[in-house]
Amino acid sequence: MLQKKVCMLGSFAVGKTSLVRRFVESIFDEKYHTTIGVKVDKKIVEVEGEKITLVLWDIHGEDVFQKLHMTYLRGMFGYLLVVDPTRRQTLDDALSLQERVQREMGSIPCIVILNKCDLAAEWEIDHDRISALETSQTTTRTSAKTGEGVDEAFLSLAKAMLDAPS
Amino acid sequence: MPQQSISDAFLAHEGIALFEYRGGSAFRPVGKIPDWCSSIWGARNGKSLELAEKSLFLETFLGEAEEFWKFKAPGKVESGSWTEQDSEGREIPLEASAVWLKGKRVLQVRNLSETFAQQQQLFQTARDSLLAHEQLMREIQKKEILLHCIIHDLSQPLTSMRACFDLLLGKDLDPAVAKFVNTGRAESQRQERMIREVLGAFSADLAGEKNLGQGVSASTNLIASAQRAVEQFAPAFAARGVQLVLAPNADSEFGWRVIADATRLDRIFGNLLENALRYSPRGSTVTVRVEGDRKALTALVIDQGPGLAKDATHDQLFALFSKGKDRPGKAGLGLYFCKMTVERWGGEIGAENRAEGGSRFWFRLPRSQQVSDAQPGGSAANPVKAQSSSNTESRQAEKSLRIVVADDDATIRELAIELLRARGHSVTDAADGPAALTAFDRTGPDVMLLDQQMPGMDGLEVARVIRQREEQAGAAPTRIVGLSGNASAEDERRSRDAGMDVLLGKPFERNMLFRAVERALETVPASTPASIAEVAPQEENLRAHLLHMTGGNEKLMRKLVAGFLADLPAKLSAIRRAVSKKDADELAAAAHSLRGAIATFNAQKAVAATRNLETMGRTQHLENVPEEFRTLSDDLVRLKRDLRALYPDASSQAKRRGAS
Repeated sequence: MLQKKVCMLGSFAVGKTSLVRRFVESIFDEKYHTTIGVKVDKKIVEVEGEKITLVLWDIHGEDVFQKLHMTYLRGMFGYLLVVDPTRRQTLDDALSLQERVQREMGSIPCIVILNKCDLAAEWEIDHDRISALETSQTTTRTSAKTGEGVDEAFLSLAKAMLDAPS
Repeated sequence: MPQQSISDAFLAHEGIALFEYRGGSAFRPVGKIPDWCSSIWGARNGKSLELAEKSLFLETFLGEAEEFWKFKAPGKVESGSWTEQDSEGREIPLEASAVWLKGKRVLQVRNLSETFAQQQQLFQTARDSLLAHEQLMREIQKKEILLHCIIHDLSQPLTSMRACFDLLLGKDLDPAVAKFVNTGRAESQRQERMIREVLGAFSADLAGEKNLGQGVSASTNLIASAQRAVEQFAPAFAARGVQLVLAPNADSEFGWRVIADATRLDRIFGNLLENALRYSPRGSTVTVRVEGDRKALTALVIDQGPGLAKDATHDQLFALFSKGKDRPGKAGLGLYFCKMTVERWGGEIGAENRAEGGSRFWFRLPRSQQVSDAQPGGSAANPVKAQSSSNTESRQAEKSLRIVVADDDATIRELAIELLRARGHSVTDAADGPAALTAFDRTGPDVMLLDQQMPGMDGLEVARVIRQREEQAGAAPTRIVGLSGNASAEDERRSRDAGMDVLLGKPFERNMLFRAVERALETVPASTPASIAEVAPQEENLRAHLLHMTGGNEKLMRKLVAGFLADLPAKLSAIRRAVSKKDADELAAAAHSLRGAIATFNAQKAVAATRNLETMGRTQHLENVPEEFRTLSDDLVRLKRDLRALYPDASSQAKRRGAS
């Protein structure tokens, strides 16, 4: 069976761990538990009749306390770039991270996740900026809390990885 | 104890497991396997282990380790920390490193449990604090926006009202009309005070922001709103020599109602007009136009200014705290508010340059289908033209001063210049900090009027530079009057620290402006800064008060003063007589009579003394009458002296009147 390493990237507290837990275990915890280092999990998905094991690397969010080890990304086939639109800065951080990843790893399938869509009223990223992002990149709106868009995001990345030239 | 056991004991103590790499994914434990290692991977002493198959993390790290071992690089390569679950489901934090030891490829795995919990708690606390801080900042920003919007919103009509009243009072008005104008002016002042009081009381806990973002279902006439805005802004445009026109709309049958709240719609027009005025050159025209189709109506504000900067994007233009490059607004909230509000009503807003020059700001709102407008566009049939700014202030200052007025708000600057020039002063204007300093060097002014917030260099910085230059040159201090839209105690402190003599709140009242500026006629050392109260209305000087009272009618002022001076001796004698006879009723009547006369002249101490005397008379308690009478007499001596100094001829008229 095909096995693909997927990294969860983004600032701290954007919901990377919650997305993985929702996707793998179908659970959600309101309380924020910070991640230190990496937690690795996996889930088998089926894309266009083909089974793939997604090895999910839930990597700690980058901030003043923890910098991202690029070595964590080694062997990565694709990544989910998670943004919390209720915090404007997380989009800038995500795009800056994406630039670094592309510099290090070249062009790799990526889905930008606008998480916390259950809190859409509190999003503080400008509507036009989101539209521009959705036009220029593959973007999915998700809610780890309600589950909305979560499976679709991972499956969409799985398909993109399958379609990507090896 | 055997050597091996000491090593094992040490490694166990340090939480370390050692494996020798045997190729492929196989590892052989070195020494005793720690319990946690057995629990996670099922490792057993002496038994080879397919570690890379048991750990998804180590599988990836192995590639990196192999590369390191292959090249026999010095030092070690580290994995970074990760978490594995043991057989009981507990999460065990680990960290691995690949090293060469005695010619062997060794993988060292360290259990971080001991330090991890502490680190986890530290990071958790720090990140929770960061999130809480971000949340707090967002809340503060929301309140700040609301606070600014309120100040912006309520001050805007006040500025126009003040301009209208001041322009009117510059005319030779009939005393009866002047009285009405004065009443309006006083009410606008009262409103300003109330705004400040409300803001002062509630700024820390504004509860209304939750309503700010709510949509509306109200239906509002777009043309009527446009016309209100045009009428409101006409005086301000006139003062700048800019024509303001509401374009007629031919289709009077069209329904002009949109889904919007009237107050906020007025404000959107106001903000767009304020923006247009800021950039419109003298002699140009700003046109407001309203047009529409079946679904939506569009309002346009078209100016003949320099147009938008080539690199200005829609986002930047309407962003929060966005300011223009050359002549920015005050807080960068006006256009942001427009965008925020229009979008919440389901509309859109934009701006573009016109081929023929200037820019066009527009917003489009869904038409209200519920209510048809009985008189759509009726009031828009006649273009509203701004009145000419031919007003002149008839009363002149005792001495003409050279004044530099520096404010990036063109309306405020023009208003101040108009009033000060009419007053007989020589005024140079500056739209920003550097221009203010240039004007200071060039004209050597008596007074600098500096807005606290200006582009390039704010007023505080300009004041500091001026004070430095004066000190270096050993020059006498120039009077520096600060201008601030939010003259708080903190603003006052900052202005004083920067070397300003006094801080004047905006929008300012004409006499407050004169008073603040004309203190330069007196000797006010820069080292003894005045407080805001120095120019507060209740302490206005006598002349300013009388000007205020009579709408600037000199004749009326003289008449009042002469009449008062003529009647005063008799009224005072009546009190003295009552005091001497200890006649309580007579004292109450005489004090009451005098109080009516002196209240006109804002002699507050004397007014208070007469009130006390009247009360003493009415209550038959006369013990403290002599002391109160002395207070009254002293203040009346001062009042008479001031009045005579102001109007020597009124004094002689009084004597003649008294003699007759």
